[in-house]
Amino acid sequence: MNHEEQVVLYAAGQLSKNERAPFEEHLAGCLECQADLRLWQMIADEITASDSAVPAPVPLAERALEQIHRPASLQAGFRRAWQLLQIQSQIIQREMWPASAGVMALGAIVALVADHIEVIYFIAPLVAAASLAILFNPEYDPALELTLSTPTSPWKVLLARLSIVSGYNLLLALAATFALLAIVPPSLLGTLILGWLGPMTFLSALALLLSLWMGTSNAIAIAYSLWLVQYIPYKLVVGWMVSPSWASVLVTYQRFWQSPVLLLSLSFLLFGLALWFANRPVFRLAQETA
Amino acid sequence: MVSSAITKQTLQIQRITQGAHHMTGQEQDFDLIHRMASGDENAVRELYAAYGQRLYAYALRLTNDPAAAEDVTQDTLVTAWRTAPSFRGEGRLIAWLLGIVHHSAMKTLRHMSLPLDAVEKTISEANASPEEQSQVGEMKRWVQQGLQSLSTEHRAVLELVFYQGLSPNEVAEVCKCPLGTVKSRLSYARQHLRGVLSRNEENWR
Repeated sequence: MNHEEQVVLYAAGQLSKNERAPFEEHLAGCLECQADLRLWQMIADEITASDSAVPAPVPLAERALEQIHRPASLQAGFRRAWQLLQIQSQIIQREMWPASAGVMALGAIVALVADHIEVIYFIAPLVAAASLAILFNPEYDPALELTLSTPTSPWKVLLARLSIVSGYNLLLALAATFALLAIVPPSLLGTLILGWLGPMTFLSALALLLSLWMGTSNAIAIAYSLWLVQYIPYKLVVGWMVSPSWASVLVTYQRFWQSPVLLLSLSFLLFGLALWFANRPVFRLAQETA
Repeated sequence: MVSSAITKQTLQIQRITQGAHHMTGQEQDFDLIHRMASGDENAVRELYAAYGQRLYAYALRLTNDPAAAEDVTQDTLVTAWRTAPSFRGEGRLIAWLLGIVHHSAMKTLRHMSLPLDAVEKTISEANASPEEQSQVGEMKRWVQQGLQSLSTEHRAVLELVFYQGLSPNEVAEVCKCPLGTVKSRLSYARQHLRGVLSRNEENWR
């Protein structure tokens, strides 16, 4: 510690006994330090005088206790949720937004040009599944790691991101569907939407849960395979398989993807599981070590 | 073996001190924080009685706004209550509390985003009544001016050292900045006030 630093501590009465005597010895012969000491003493006097004249407001302890007793209001809860949504929408991987929109737009164009509305049925679930599979993976997303180091619980972070990205996917698919009205009558709009809504929700819920469990790339691979299997032509299967029962399995499987109510109910189950999964020790650990 | 011997010894010491109804400041602090952690609301009142003035004074110096300083102090009590179980007693209680005040005040300042000039004007107008001016010596007024023209960060370090009696290490902990920054802020404050004083002395002569 140099003398300039020692003078401050001396003026503040913070030098230890052992340090004080040698410093005073030095002080006696050093004009520079004496001038400094006078300055610091004036500062100390001024600060002490003005601060000790500040009266502490009387009811603050009671007000603090009131605040402690007050349960977190609903409004505050909504405000926090809104803030979380805002923050998360800014830090979700940026590439996801244009990539999803681009693929969906491509699907709509192909559907229009080829005059085949099924293209949208095919594309929408794939886009949604990919975007949800990258949603919650600290390995790919440094911002997530940072978020997890804050006191917000992982499942809330996941729910916020899930709401944002699912909302976005829904909008994209709706936009693509409206574009298809160029080639189909408006009365078919409801049928069109129901056609992709169930598979899209289920496949993305599955991809999300799988990504938490076995990583993003595995999740995408499995979800995409499950989705593509139903497009295996019937004749091909009959040609391959000796037993015709395999073909009937395929038919049942295809029918599964065409039952919106079943798919949507299963999706909610999977989303719930994913949220529960996000609170597992692995993510908690990331939260503590970060 | 060793740890149990130490606990026995500390228990004995505690018993002796409690028996004598004489607790040191440190023990009182631990008692307060322990009672807060276990949900004793009276401990909040006692904490405020013991440290409220110092916490409020620091909050006022940082925010320059009595209403904001009240909010900051109240928030500090609430935060202390909620985080009392995590207080590990590695430092002094007052340093921990001032750290909460500092954090909360800085957050408030960011939201208020008052132009600094306006803040300083209100202080000098509030502080310099004519009667006071005639009473205080010229030097004292220059020191006041010099302190008021310091930035909040520099003023905060001086407050913590001279009014709150914190060591430079504790100041660093409160401001969440390196020790070197605390030292350089002190050095800057010295330079700045010396400048103000010498300029005024020249004008005066």
